[in-house]
Amino acid sequence: MWNDKKSLQLSKLFILIFMVVLVATVVTAPWITKRFINFSRAELMGTERYFLATIYTGFLPAAYLLYSLLRLLQRIEAEQVFIAENVERLRRISWNCFAGAGISIISVAYYFPWIFVAIAAAFMGLIVRVVKNVVAQAVALQDEIDYTV
Amino acid sequence: MPIVVNLDVVMAKRKMSSGELAEKVGISQANLSILKTGKAKAIRFSTLEAICKALDCQPGDILEYRERE
Repeated sequence: MWNDKKSLQLSKLFILIFMVVLVATVVTAPWITKRFINFSRAELMGTERYFLATIYTGFLPAAYLLYSLLRLLQRIEAEQVFIAENVERLRRISWNCFAGAGISIISVAYYFPWIFVAIAAAFMGLIVRVVKNVVAQAVALQDEIDYTV
Repeated sequence: MPIVVNLDVVMAKRKMSSGELAEKVGISQANLSILKTGKAKAIRFSTLEAICKALDCQPGDILEYRERE
């Protein structure tokens, strides 16, 4: 029977899969980049180091974002949902999305399709930010309920 | 907060302990402590009514408004 606990476990599994994919991408980045450049467009020749710079720089916000998501799920599992720490976590997740968008925007200088990654990351950051604002209000309400005698 | 809870004073006047008041009002001692220490953000009318009944006082005896300094 499907329940909340299994749903949380599934979310954690997806995060772990993304973590593995992220690490695998960083480790194999030189090979992936070389293949991509060789088998795509000739005018990308010589941009290999830029691609590597984007991947390695983007690794930091992406890794921190996944770690934050994992911590958030662990707190939800411990039934600590409407707490200030979760608001802070969501805020950091949002800023990590914007950081990813920023890195992608800079990368547009050498490869235009990064713009789509930038837009997607910024949009995601915006959504998380709105969720953060909602949770912040919920925390305030919870606080008031807890201190109503 | 400009609302001051003078529950301690009224309880002392009535010589009533926290445990006794909590039992009469029907709230936990932890919640009564939140109220006494001024940490409470709100008080239900039903709780206020029960406190006034138990201490034989008016809401104004328990709650006081003071200007912020």
